[in-house]
Amino acid sequence: MSSSAVVSLEQTAAHLASIVGEEHTHLSGQTISAYPANASEIAEVLRFADSAGLAVTPTGGGTKLGWGNSVAAPILLGLGRMAALREHSWHDMTCTVEAGCAWNVMQAQLALHGQMVAVDPLWPDRATAGGIVSTNDGGALRLRYGSLRDLILGMTVVLAEGSITKSGGKVVKNCAGYDLPKLMTGGFGTLAVIASVNFRLHPLEKHARAWTATAPDPAELRAPLHALLDSQMIPCSAQLRMGPQECALDVRVAAVPECLREHEVRLQQIFAPVALAEPDPSVWRARESLFAQPGALVLKVTLLPADLCSIAAELRQQAAKDQIELAIVAQAFGLMTVALTAPPDAAFLFVERLRARLRPSGGSVVALQVPDSLRGRLEVWDCQSNALPLMREIKRRFDPNRILNPGRFVGGI
Amino acid sequence: MLTPSQIDEFRAAVDPDGIITLKSQLQTYECDGLTNLRALPGIVVLPRSAREVQAVVRICARHKIPFVSRGSGTGLSGGALPAEGGVLIALTRMNRILQVDIPNRFAVVEPGVFNSQVSQRVASSGYFYAPDPSSQPVCTIGGNVAENAGGAHCLKYGFTATHTLGLEVVLPNGELVSFGSPAPDASGYDLTGVFIGSEGTLGVVTKITLRIVKRPEAVQTLLAAFDSPQAAGQTVSEIIAAGMLPSALEIMDTLAIEAAEAAVHAHYPRCGGLLLVELDGPASEVAALMPEVRAICLANGAGEIRLAQSDEERALVWKGRKAAFAAVGRISPSYIVQDGVIPRTALHEVLAEIGRMAAEAGLRVANVFHAGDGNLHPLVLYDRAIAGQEETALDLSYRILRLCVDRGGSITGEHGVGKEKQEALGYMFAEPDLDAMQRVRCAFDPEKIANPGKIFPRLHLCAEQAGPPTAHPLETPISAEAPS
Ligand SMILES: Cc1cc2nc3c(=O)[nH]c(=O)nc-3n(C[C@H](O)[C@H](O)[C@H](O)COP(=O)(O)OP(=O)(O)OC[C@H]3O[C@@H](n4cnc5c(N)ncnc54)[C@H](O)[C@@H]3O)c2cc1C
Repeated sequence: MSSSAVVSLEQTAAHLASIVGEEHTHLSGQTISAYPANASEIAEVLRFADSAGLAVTPTGGGTKLGWGNSVAAPILLGLGRMAALREHSWHDMTCTVEAGCAWNVMQAQLALHGQMVAVDPLWPDRATAGGIVSTNDGGALRLRYGSLRDLILGMTVVLAEGSITKSGGKVVKNCAGYDLPKLMTGGFGTLAVIASVNFRLHPLEKHARAWTATAPDPAELRAPLHALLDSQMIPCSAQLRMGPQECALDVRVAAVPECLREHEVRLQQIFAPVALAEPDPSVWRARESLFAQPGALVLKVTLLPADLCSIAAELRQQAAKDQIELAIVAQAFGLMTVALTAPPDAAFLFVERLRARLRPSGGSVVALQVPDSLRGRLEVWDCQSNALPLMREIKRRFDPNRILNPGRFVGGI
Repeated sequence: MLTPSQIDEFRAAVDPDGIITLKSQLQTYECDGLTNLRALPGIVVLPRSAREVQAVVRICARHKIPFVSRGSGTGLSGGALPAEGGVLIALTRMNRILQVDIPNRFAVVEPGVFNSQVSQRVASSGYFYAPDPSSQPVCTIGGNVAENAGGAHCLKYGFTATHTLGLEVVLPNGELVSFGSPAPDASGYDLTGVFIGSEGTLGVVTKITLRIVKRPEAVQTLLAAFDSPQAAGQTVSEIIAAGMLPSALEIMDTLAIEAAEAAVHAHYPRCGGLLLVELDGPASEVAALMPEVRAICLANGAGEIRLAQSDEERALVWKGRKAAFAAVGRISPSYIVQDGVIPRTALHEVLAEIGRMAAEAGLRVANVFHAGDGNLHPLVLYDRAIAGQEETALDLSYRILRLCVDRGGSITGEHGVGKEKQEALGYMFAEPDLDAMQRVRCAFDPEKIANPGKIFPRLHLCAEQAGPPTAHPLETPISAEAPS
């Protein structure tokens, strides 16, 4: 840290106002929110924060600020003014969007040319491109289109000491230099501030249908789900929903109209004797309802795809035994969102058990939304990697003064 | 130069037959597929296990000896070019498929396994490994990971990065670490992602967890003959605009067709621009879409349109396409393969410009490319025996790369930067961009002993204190009176 003098909150606010403008700087409590208009202003803010040793939390819609370890940063860097879809090369099926653009705003503009970024994140009305990328959030569409990391072509990011850098590119294929966007995706804003992202686009699904199979026990859905994934059908999404009473498997397929009928017949065969019904489209936003339960501990559980139904069944039994209220929305590629409402001790034990259960096969349990009763007690992250020292070294090389979201990420990064 | 005692240390680190020191044998390793660059390594080691790789790398780290990893040496950018007098680690003996898990759709392999072997191994279960570089029968998965190899079917299926779930790596300090896992989204930074495509500069891969994919029910391959590659290119754009995602869209121009015919007699129609379209997926879907493709071809003036009628015919079509690089050897004594990428919409203009530049240089350029993703492979034909022609050809090939960058593209889609395109990387990225990449390099390899002198245009030392930030060109508004 080059500055030895301690800067007061007021001085900081005044300095930030001189960069982004008075009207785009707000002081509330111990936090100053500053809203830069472009990458150069982000750079100036970071340069100042870096030299003054002030921590910065970048934020978009603020929907996931609670994820990861809590950080008390004096500067909240709001990307809300950087919200434009800067470029949509529809013939090339690529786009460049500023980090603060709300997902649905972006999608609506891309839809004008029949295209989309094939990711269905949480709270798309408010969540922004930058925040979604930083937290690597995505929903059921990943089964068909891959995850965010497969759809990001390039980025412009601002490093802690204020240099603006580009990596990747705008073309769909590119292996020139290191793939830094991979580090930023899911990096929780600890390495750099994302200014804009270049995405690869897909055509909107013109003809799609969905079906739901319900069963009392998730174990009963195991064989059909396996058969589905091993079949020639390529569903866009396959999702298991489980509440205390019932569980359901939702399948969505997009195809040319001629084929949808055939897919339906195949599905009926796979699921027989369970009958198929048409689900309400809201099932694809079922993940959101888990976060809405007051006081619930919400977990992101990753596991081997073939274990999905059996682990869900195990968890349900365990929950019943321990009087835990449990709801699960799980994606067929091996990702579960789990909400549990339980006394702190029971919830704590549940998580520890599940971690131990999944560890040998490479799975993990990350606590996304932690009720106050467990804050500080429950380890949020679940990183067993022997590469943690290397991750710390990467952080040190990018942010030696630890101003970007210090402590939020795995291992206190 | 390695000292005798250092050589003894290496000897003790691997099997008795796992070390090569004789000059005549070392020569086998002096270049990769970019044969005009050569350097003799001090020794070659052939480890059989990650433990042996670790032992070798530890010795390198202790004495700050540069090392270069090598798979099959089919790389086209000089990535596996040895460090003169340094250590070459050949991974070809680590060639076991360690695990296949069909229900979870992954396979764990050692780096020396050949690309095609993975598909062969899982074929009986109805699966395959999707990335398919034309060199797939001989290139290694380790090399694929290092280059983020692609292939004709990447348009639909993605690249090596899309299909790699996890890695085991010996870091340049000799530590063994694991990145990623067969379960999705391992906690922490995506080190698997950043390692892929790092061209051997961040460590040695010793184990790879790969995603495998269900083999499609139906595959149909169509050949359409056009007057020019531009007309074929327009067809490609329209197929994609119609919302289709074929598994492959490849174009060859007259010279490339001529070469492929001479080499493998693929029975291609003779024309100015040959388009190859492959659709795969559920049979009913392929059957429904192929007529649409055909109609688009006709609307764009396709002459002959031919659907491969059997697996044998389809195999022959692909044999011709995949042999195209080597085949060019039939029509020219020497050639340079380039790998630029452009936005698909710039195809027309860029091909015309390449033609113009070639004529100006007095050389021929054959074009065979992955049209769906705009990945050009201009083959600059020349004769090494003619004084000065190699320089002209190299200059032309680099100017083509700059053209790709100027049109919003990239200098490499799948072959990597290596030793060949370092200057071009400096053209594509500004200093702050390269500096950000160097931070990753410094975190992995502060002594810069892993494949030194590759990728980056300039030497960079891993200083502990970062210097003052330099302004990025993006920050400097383009002035109206830019100096000419
Ligand atoms: C005829 C022909 C056609 C080709 N077609 C294609 C194509 O369609 N698509 C495509 O993408 N490429 C293609 N290539 C290029 C080449 O085959 C690929 O780059 C391939 O991935 C290289 O594999 P390799 O085993 O030969 O690696 P090498 O050439 O031995 O090495 C390549 C790079 O990988 C590094 N490396 C190798 N093994 C390891 C390891 N275990 N750990 C760390 N680093 C390692 C090396 O240091 C080097 O930088 C083609 C090449 C030829 C000759």
